[in-house]
Amino acid sequence: MKRHYVTLITLLFMLGVAGCASDDKETVKVAFIGPLTGGVSANGLGGRNSAELAIRLQNADSSSKYKYELVALDDECKPNIGVQVATKVAADKHIVAGVTHYCSAVAMGTVDVYHKFGLPVVVWGAVLPDITYGNDYAEVHRVNGTMINQNEVAADFMLQQGYKTWAVVHDTTDYGKGHNRYFSKFVIDKGGRIVGTFGVSADQQDFNAELTKVKELDPDVIYFGGLAPTGVRLRSQMEKLGINAVFQGTSGIVSDAFIDGLGPLAEGVLAFREGAPVEKLPGGESFLSQYQQQDFGEPPEAYGAFAFAAANLIIDAIEKVGPDRKLVMQELNATRDHDSVVGPVTFDEHGQNTVALITRYVIQDGKWVVWEESEYASGKRKLPGS
Amino acid sequence: MPITNRSYWPVVASAVFAAVFVLLFLYLEEQWEIAVLAVGLVAALYSAVRFGFLGRIEAAASDHPRTTIVVNFVAALAVIVLLRGEHFALLMLATVFLYVTVCLGLTIQFGYTGIVNFAGIAFFGIGAYTTAVLTAHTGVPHLLVIIIAGLVAGLIGSVLILPLLRTRGHYAALVTIAFGILFRTFLEVSDVLGGPQGLKVPGMQILGWSLNDNISLGPLGSVSFYASYAVVALLLAAGAYILVKRLERSWIGLNLDAIRTDETAAASFGIDVPRWKIFAFTVGNCLAGFAGAVYAMMSGFIAPASFNFGDSLLLVSIVLLGGSGNPLGVLPAALLVVVLPEKLQIIQEYRFLLFAVLVILILRFRPEGLLPRKMREYFAAWSRS
Repeated sequence: MKRHYVTLITLLFMLGVAGCASDDKETVKVAFIGPLTGGVSANGLGGRNSAELAIRLQNADSSSKYKYELVALDDECKPNIGVQVATKVAADKHIVAGVTHYCSAVAMGTVDVYHKFGLPVVVWGAVLPDITYGNDYAEVHRVNGTMINQNEVAADFMLQQGYKTWAVVHDTTDYGKGHNRYFSKFVIDKGGRIVGTFGVSADQQDFNAELTKVKELDPDVIYFGGLAPTGVRLRSQMEKLGINAVFQGTSGIVSDAFIDGLGPLAEGVLAFREGAPVEKLPGGESFLSQYQQQDFGEPPEAYGAFAFAAANLIIDAIEKVGPDRKLVMQELNATRDHDSVVGPVTFDEHGQNTVALITRYVIQDGKWVVWEESEYASGKRKLPGS
Repeated sequence: MPITNRSYWPVVASAVFAAVFVLLFLYLEEQWEIAVLAVGLVAALYSAVRFGFLGRIEAAASDHPRTTIVVNFVAALAVIVLLRGEHFALLMLATVFLYVTVCLGLTIQFGYTGIVNFAGIAFFGIGAYTTAVLTAHTGVPHLLVIIIAGLVAGLIGSVLILPLLRTRGHYAALVTIAFGILFRTFLEVSDVLGGPQGLKVPGMQILGWSLNDNISLGPLGSVSFYASYAVVALLLAAGAYILVKRLERSWIGLNLDAIRTDETAAASFGIDVPRWKIFAFTVGNCLAGFAGAVYAMMSGFIAPASFNFGDSLLLVSIVLLGGSGNPLGVLPAALLVVVLPEKLQIIQEYRFLLFAVLVILILRFRPEGLLPRKMREYFAAWSRS
């Protein structure tokens, strides 16, 4: 038994000693929450690295008033785990603000927690409109656009290209369902026709049933509302059934993982995303080159720049008003035309960034290329079925 | 009560030890502190097994069943009181108690009767969704809501009774797997129940007192609102524990054990097999429903993604890890399965890898679980005579 007491006493001593670290600058903690494990972890890891990059760059700057520390947590893309880690972060008084959530369902569950504990957060990836528009919480902000803007541009663009009929395949998460709702609305309003809508579960492996039906309907375009893993399976099974339609995706497939999963089959896939492509932005080149220098194991992925921008917004606010949640929140709410790597950021009264800028992408030779610069736009190559 | 002259001090000592451990486990955050704690625990457990303390504690616990429950209950309350201001630690503790409640239900089903239920989280979810609907659309008092939620879970579970009685072993397991997946898919396409986006659930109110408010103690600081939920969850878990323990020691428990060991033999001794299977399955599901109701009000938001097949597997693994059929084993196992992944956040994307390795290691060295079930004692001092 003696051994127990010894261990216990040592432990209690350690408890007392912990937390007595000293530094010349005050340390300020900022949280990052995203999916670090599971199907969409590529985006979560890219986002975490990007937020970490923002912190490291700030710490390397000698004029920085504080020393920053990123507390990165995994929400597994599951609402129940999300609420847990959100509580952990929000209840920790040393954490001043958070860069939070890629998955919409998780963000929907956690906004109440942030509001309850008064923690200012900037959403870096979740696109469901209700996250900012479904409440009046001053704590919640978002740097990326919503799926409303994205789908309006997508519908306009596709109709201009002369496509008339769509088959919609969407996953039955809020992400996929929301995309289906807004895209269908815009396409029908503007004169297009939806010939069939298919809800599939996000982890469905076999799409033969849906795709056989789609083949019968013979649409010009297959619109896919969902994330990259499902998209990869759907696109490759389309090929097996010999469906010759354009594959049009959403922001959820704009990731290198999508191209890696498909190889040459990815050619000619279209997708739409909020914000300008990173390398086209004032600070974009330097973001990418600095990201390379830091030797992270994973690429920043499509939303890395948003996480970087969100972290920088928070850092700038803390530098200006000090590490106080209330003041930081007010400072964030007052953000107008703030320069960032994803373009100027302006929050409306719901904390939503009002960037209307949507970029159109097409995959050409194994890369996401901006439509205007692609050989498809110049007429050199043609999309399937046109 | 059997007349014994052995003291109950081993029980008290182990409860105090466990309480201190849980307290430190929940409170400490630094990785090296957790590592030291884990090493300390392994050393302590090893010496407890090696020098026979564990056996003495178990013997004392079976001699003094009531004292054991009271002592452990008080120890758990003490942990809550000491953690009163720590929102996150209390949330984790309350979650552990709720998982314990569900797993005690699974113990009745699986540990005693031998019905494998791979849809545990679905019944938990039914309780949660019932609560969300009842609190949003009716004025039913919340304590009553919890009871109704449990009964609804039991009622919906009765859909499965016929296929479960017609099948055995792996086939019965398959029936429950199918139900678990069906449940989630149904929620996702059902827009009335919020669809994939989920539902908000208001906080619990008991007699006009809202559990979602922090309790202010004036100069002593304030108590986290999660403390109230932790107490409610603790009461639920304790109630479930007493129920399971009483069941085990009663003639009902004898019947259930007989059915698990050999259905044919049990039937030939005149035991009504379907009756007891239905009983065990329904009681277990009700417990899951009660826990789900409290969980919904505590977390304030429920969505289908929280009720995955993977979570059902987690529940089954808690029962197996604890030692199938031993309600006491559920406690450390639930603590491990719920809190450890959270404590491993520091290693981020590798945490589930390490977590899985740990679980495999535990089962390698204790294949019957952390606290395997002991032989049934038919008379006092049976095993020692």
